[in-house]
Amino acid sequence: MTNKAADAAAVKKDVRRTDISKRSIIVNKLGIYIVVAILLVVGLIIKQGDYVSIDNLRSILSAVALTGICCAGLAFVVYSANFNDMSLPMTIALSGMMAVQLIPFGIVVSVLGGLAAGTLVGVVNGVLIGKFRANPIIWTLAFNLVLSGIVRVAWGGSQIYPDVVAGDSPAALAAAEQFTSFARTYFLNGSLPLMVVVMIVLFVVAYILLTRTKFGNQLKIVGSNYEVAKLSGINTSKTIILAYVFCSFCAAVTGIFYASQTKIGAYSNGEGYDFSCLTAVLLGGMMLSGGKGTIVGVFGGVLVVGMLNNIMTLIGIPTFQQYLVTGLVFLFVVWLNTNSERKLGRA
Amino acid sequence: MSEMPNKTPAYALEMKNVTKRFPGTLAVDGVSFAVKPGEVHALVGENGAGKSTLMKVLAGLFNDYTGEILINGKECQLHTPSMAKDHGIGMIYQELSLARCISIYENMLAGRLPKKNALFVDKKEAIEQSKKLLERVGLDYIDPTKEISEISQCEAQLVEIAKVLGTSPHIIVMDEPTSALSSEEVKTLFGIIESLKKQGLAIIYISHHLQEIFEVADNITVMRDGKKVGTYPVEETSTDHLIEMMVGKSVKDFYAKRTATIGEEMMRVENFTRWGFFHHVDFEVHKGEVLAVVGLAGSGRSEIGRALVGVDPVNEGRILLNGKEQKFGSMSDAINAGIGYLTEDRKVAGLALTQSVTDNVLSTIIDKLEKGPFYYPKSHRDIVNQKIKELDIYPPEPDRIVNNLSGGNQQKVLMAKWLATDVSILILDEPTRGVDIGAKQTIHQAVLDYAARGNAVLLLSSDLPEVVGLADRAVILREGHIIGEISKEEITEHSLLIAANGEGKHIS
Repeated sequence: MTNKAADAAAVKKDVRRTDISKRSIIVNKLGIYIVVAILLVVGLIIKQGDYVSIDNLRSILSAVALTGICCAGLAFVVYSANFNDMSLPMTIALSGMMAVQLIPFGIVVSVLGGLAAGTLVGVVNGVLIGKFRANPIIWTLAFNLVLSGIVRVAWGGSQIYPDVVAGDSPAALAAAEQFTSFARTYFLNGSLPLMVVVMIVLFVVAYILLTRTKFGNQLKIVGSNYEVAKLSGINTSKTIILAYVFCSFCAAVTGIFYASQTKIGAYSNGEGYDFSCLTAVLLGGMMLSGGKGTIVGVFGGVLVVGMLNNIMTLIGIPTFQQYLVTGLVFLFVVWLNTNSERKLGRA
Repeated sequence: MSEMPNKTPAYALEMKNVTKRFPGTLAVDGVSFAVKPGEVHALVGENGAGKSTLMKVLAGLFNDYTGEILINGKECQLHTPSMAKDHGIGMIYQELSLARCISIYENMLAGRLPKKNALFVDKKEAIEQSKKLLERVGLDYIDPTKEISEISQCEAQLVEIAKVLGTSPHIIVMDEPTSALSSEEVKTLFGIIESLKKQGLAIIYISHHLQEIFEVADNITVMRDGKKVGTYPVEETSTDHLIEMMVGKSVKDFYAKRTATIGEEMMRVENFTRWGFFHHVDFEVHKGEVLAVVGLAGSGRSEIGRALVGVDPVNEGRILLNGKEQKFGSMSDAINAGIGYLTEDRKVAGLALTQSVTDNVLSTIIDKLEKGPFYYPKSHRDIVNQKIKELDIYPPEPDRIVNNLSGGNQQKVLMAKWLATDVSILILDEPTRGVDIGAKQTIHQAVLDYAARGNAVLLLSSDLPEVVGLADRAVILREGHIIGEISKEEITEHSLLIAANGEGKHIS
């Protein structure tokens, strides 16, 4: 080509800002862990040595685990640009109640039944949103209401207790005993709760799903731009269905641990999880517009929310005021999120 | 009302040595130019030449430009859009800024509706005012209480002008005002521009359509690479001369010469119909051939492309690939059968802008790269690097976010994404819209190389020089019907224009 030199010159001129500094990349990726470190220092100042005691760390991690497990799944829905799963509360409640109800049939049936019930919610959400393109917020909100209706009708509006459900059969009572012990199982001399192990395992699974599988990499394109994904030959319905299924599966795990910890299966079990989980996921750097964020970041977001609640409890802020603070954090995070998206030119 | 002072200064607008810098580039580099009252001054240049940035300076969108701007001989600062408005600058953008479902008069007087009793809108007065403005653009027959959605595209464009006239401007900037108009409507618009000229307004007219410019402008300023190349009175220049100034090199060596070896038929489309969009479309593409489908906006060009790959529905007709009938339910069916579709608008339907070059290039082949559920993009770096090299994507960094590339390089990534698939038929819908010359040339070369490897290309384009340079054969589409075919020897911009709209004036 005779014009090669001229082309090269023309192309060179195109250079936009190429000097994105290493520092800003580190701050972006690890920013949330800086907040974790700050909260750790704040905790140390408030409670001195007690803060890093085994007891307190265990209580932070346990408190964090229920939200954390849910967040590992919710991250996929946010990543797919479907904002939030508003049916999280009833998914948690339904799977917990189902598991408790199935205790008489043995612990395996109970756990599998609980997981299946929750996961089924994800299948329905996924099909409606991924295949039929229902509005994700309106649909999951409505479905949450429908589920709460079903749960109240099915159980007559009452709560169920593992030992009561088990009745007199010794086998069932043993299963009930096992069920309630899930949330009270510890490893390493009582310092590492089972819930935390499950949470970490789910985060590892989530990390692998998102970065090392076809599903995760296609979800990235779907989340960034649905139309582009569709026109690139990506099966968008399948991808979104899988995201919802994983989200609801994680919520079901939370539901079972929740029922195990409180020894109650109740329709109010998952109350507030829709927004507390979203707060943690967004704090962790997931973008509401989809396709941006990391699982490592979400884990940091979960830690921050847990530590914040822990510190508030330690300095004696009453529960209602804690709600207020969490709500303000949520608003702040959403503002931050849309603000940085505007800078990216997307909002 | 725009009152011209009795002692009119020589220039309505003078820009002296205006410079606007973006991080890393000088978008406008020391440009000076002047417009007299009652003059239509055209601004031309390739995409990225800096003309839109210059006009954005005038619109008050930047507060960090340097240089002097004089309006009616007085120096002024244009740091906010309202400052620009106060100095009598009216902007008419390519995309209409009208709300479709509210009335014409409310659109025209948005933000400054006349009030009654300090609280209520004086509807009668508002309608009166807007009627007067509509008369100035020849829309006296239109009822201002109608909604925008009830009037035609051309009328909406004129309403837009009337709206700007309501702010009593001295200077009106029109950025591609004809891009959505038919050739008939363009004539109407030019009539209006002529009358505005007589009313003493200075008009800056930006367009890619050089024929239009020769019809409407008095003077033409050419920009290239952020600099002004020169200002020419319209009678002292020609299309060839302008293109040469814009491109910086002679037009003749713009397209690589080649002799295509055309083989057997690869795809045949028979009686292809989607009601209301295109009807009874028949054509065939051969191995090694570039077939252009040329048509105006609204001719059904892109719709055919979308229907061919199964994204849009089809009512009648069939597609034969190598003699066998095929049906596609989705894009992935089409890819599996060997057809790719490069979409028209890279921002809306082409690229995941917030993701990396690697993610985008591999997005079409994730399912094929590995067996089983696992997949890690970084282990397929070699494919990406090869495409980066092949298409000269700059900067050559596979991890760069596509949004941080220039338009031309983004378009190359889009091309790379489809070249990465092993499809043997590629449908290209406006493959070089809005890119600079360098990128255009690279993409064109890639298209020709692709066809030369024994593949077939279906080029859907309204860029006539592109069709002339690339196509081995062209079919002409008008209002959803194929109305003719032109062989390679007969393809010229002129013949295409005449075929596409009969009168040979306007194509967009």
